[in-house]
Amino acid sequence: MLRALRHRRKRAATTGAPGIDLTPYDGLALHVRRGMGERTGDRRFPGHPQPSGIELEGYTAYAPGDDLRHLDWNVYGRLDALLVRRFTAEREVLFHLLVDGSASMGVPARDRKFAVASELARALAYLALSANDAVRLAVLPGAASRVYRQRASTLRIVDELAAATPGGSLALDRALEAYALRHPQPGATIVISDLMMDPLEVERGVRALRARRYEVVLLHVVGAGELDPLREFSHGMLQDVESSATHPVVLTRTALARYHTLLRDHMTALAALAARSEATYAHLTTGRSVAEFVTTDLARLGLVRRR
Amino acid sequence: MIGIGLANPAGALAFAAVAILVALYLFDRRRHTIPVGSLFLWQRIAPRPMERQRFRADLLFVLQLLLLIALAGGYLRPYVEEGGTPATGASLVLVLDVSASMQTREAEGTRFDLVRRPARTLVAHLGAGEEAMLVTAGAHARVVIPWTADHARMQDRLETLEPLDTPTDLAPAVELALGAAADRPGASVAVFTDLPPQESGLAPADLAGVDYVQVGHTDDNLAIAGVTVEQPPFSTASEATATVAVRNYSHLARRAALEARVGERFWTRRDLVLQPHATEQVLLDDPPAAGEVALTLETGDALAIDDEAVTYIAPTERLDLLLVTASRALAADLAEVTAAIPGARLEVMPPTRYEAAPPEGPRTALFDRVVPAEIPTATNALFVAPPPGSALCSAYRMVEAATVVDWEADHPALRGLGPLEALEVTHAGALAPTDWGVPIVTAAAATVAFPLLVAGERDGRRVACLAADLTPPLASSDHEPLLLLTLGTLRWLGQPEETVFQIATGVPVRVRGALSPPVRGPAAGAGLSIAGDPPVLLAERRGIYRVGPPGTERLVLVNLFDDRESDIGRSGGGEWPARGHARSAGPPLARHEVGWWLYLAAAALLGGEWIAWRRRLGR
Repeated sequence: MLRALRHRRKRAATTGAPGIDLTPYDGLALHVRRGMGERTGDRRFPGHPQPSGIELEGYTAYAPGDDLRHLDWNVYGRLDALLVRRFTAEREVLFHLLVDGSASMGVPARDRKFAVASELARALAYLALSANDAVRLAVLPGAASRVYRQRASTLRIVDELAAATPGGSLALDRALEAYALRHPQPGATIVISDLMMDPLEVERGVRALRARRYEVVLLHVVGAGELDPLREFSHGMLQDVESSATHPVVLTRTALARYHTLLRDHMTALAALAARSEATYAHLTTGRSVAEFVTTDLARLGLVRRR
Repeated sequence: MIGIGLANPAGALAFAAVAILVALYLFDRRRHTIPVGSLFLWQRIAPRPMERQRFRADLLFVLQLLLLIALAGGYLRPYVEEGGTPATGASLVLVLDVSASMQTREAEGTRFDLVRRPARTLVAHLGAGEEAMLVTAGAHARVVIPWTADHARMQDRLETLEPLDTPTDLAPAVELALGAAADRPGASVAVFTDLPPQESGLAPADLAGVDYVQVGHTDDNLAIAGVTVEQPPFSTASEATATVAVRNYSHLARRAALEARVGERFWTRRDLVLQPHATEQVLLDDPPAAGEVALTLETGDALAIDDEAVTYIAPTERLDLLLVTASRALAADLAEVTAAIPGARLEVMPPTRYEAAPPEGPRTALFDRVVPAEIPTATNALFVAPPPGSALCSAYRMVEAATVVDWEADHPALRGLGPLEALEVTHAGALAPTDWGVPIVTAAAATVAFPLLVAGERDGRRVACLAADLTPPLASSDHEPLLLLTLGTLRWLGQPEETVFQIATGVPVRVRGALSPPVRGPAAGAGLSIAGDPPVLLAERRGIYRVGPPGTERLVLVNLFDDRESDIGRSGGGEWPARGHARSAGPPLARHEVGWWLYLAAAALLGGEWIAWRRRLGR
């Protein structure tokens, strides 16, 4: 019992985020199929044999210059052929956490969409860093951070997210295209946004990332007030916080039913575009626990696994 | 028994705030915007203009509405009355003073409101089947509602009853009520007035038989106590003067402004400072025109009804006189006088010539020391110093050194003349009584009083007899009063018919000539009653009335000049129950104001609204 207590204290000291409980994510790691990095790491990428490693993946004909230590002399004795051992690639994955920091993440204020998105990003960063993967954080439309590789860097990420406030407008497609151009090194991109835009715009951004061989994950943060707008208002002049455009609406029963249909179609369209682009899509309602979402929904999608 | 009421019904105006609240919400609905992350989905839903939507109340609005209603309800000062006298199984006669002084504003309302409430409470306490009667006491007693068991009708009448502009004569009303109550065993009489019992004019026996309730406290009143217009006969309107008596009945010095208008034209305005209980005579001269004069006293005192008065300045009359005299000196003297009157015409004729051929046609004639045997019907005549033995008017004895001791100030022949005490007659013949006229000026010598001027109508013409000699020079200061009296009489003789009547409220006045509806004036003409032939006028509301069809209408100017009504100061009132029964001496009504509960509810609603507002902010 004393040992367990000491272990818990040690763990809190290493994660370093006061008041933030990351223990639900211990022993978990992010899992992606693509996005192999260039630096050696713990993650194995079958299909990418390399001259050295731990796990034998296959053989190849000897060519001058190959390391003689990897010649398989037993095979040479049996088959009279010079074959060299090839091993499974072990690389790190660079996770790009792209958090939507536009003004739309600030409304409805009661839903705290940006806070939920930040908490989700924090959890995913912790998962990645705990598995010796690298993390780069960008609160769009702001610039990206440097790459973090230490688990203790979770505190830095926490600070960066805490310092950010939602504001300004964001064109997600252009932002993702620009990000892909600026960071050609492939990795896994996790986009956390309210995605309240035309799915075609989202698809353009996803395709730009996929063109750079990024693994893409779309995490859709849906406000409870967006699911049930009657909780926020019954009538009034709606104003887009990013474009200041207005639209008068009265939430009659018909209008409300129409809205629910449109929202459902929108989420279906997002899921469909993710499937088309070989991306992963999941949505999180602000009323839910982030830990539950990570350990249940993302685990079901295979994005989170036990280490 | 329990009754409810409102101590401040005017507070109902505060409910207008509800309309303002709704208007604010409607206005806010137009300009209120709701921030959303994106219009991407909303733009696919057809827009709905706010103006076309029906008003949808939210929680904050409902709370604010209830808060306003609670505040306005509290401002009405609702109350619940408990206790009071239980039903006695007996009848009740209510006597309410409806005189002008009951219009006095006290701190809690008018004096009439102060007596209306307990009177209504008494009616409310009557048992089913018990009968009540309502008598009002103004200048005259009046049974407003005879015996009735219909208490709702009685309550309605009490609610709509308003005081009049008349003096008070309480005693006849109380006697009437006591007489009505005497026929019913156990019946009681309740008197509500602002007069103290000792000033009510009631006999002690009557006072002992009634429940007497007196109200009133303030003495804050200034009044126009009287108006006199002096307008010499045949003078122009601008020569007229008006003397206005303004009296301060308060124990404090007061400032006031007196404004006079003639018709629609401004005449003058005087600022006055009156010491406590002082009277000031304000002389107004040089009026801009003839016509009805409206006088207004701007004081803001407790009783407004006596702050206004009306009077009349007559237009200039034209003198067309036939003088029948044998005295050349008098003819010359009168010619000199008429020459000084604008537009006047004088024809002189000796008596012999007149008797030979009296001129026909409507004329005014002055017969000096002669009474012709035959006078044309159309001639109105003034006989001066008629000789003894005349059939029309004659002097039965000669009197030396007489002075005027009495006169009919309201007679039109004396209108516009000042007091006649200054009139001294050195030589006159005492007139014998006549069957056609009345003495309008009486003089007295050392041993005898006699009619100096008799006026009346005979055979369809106006006739007057003046006992004094007209001795030249008429324009001298010694003879000027007699000359003015003569000219005033000639003016009356020359007037075809009276068109302006000045009367006081509450006093019936018989007038000459026919008066017929319609009547236009205060209270839609209902403030003036006309009855009988010759007509008798009785006014209950002061002001200017126009009687008759347009074009031939007569003016009736009604004033309230009554010291007893204007002197409104009282000691605070009290109750004097009747001896022998205890209707009003029973347990007093306990009044509980419940407005504070509404204010408490408003405070609670305010707290609830604050919580709702914080919750909305927290979204």
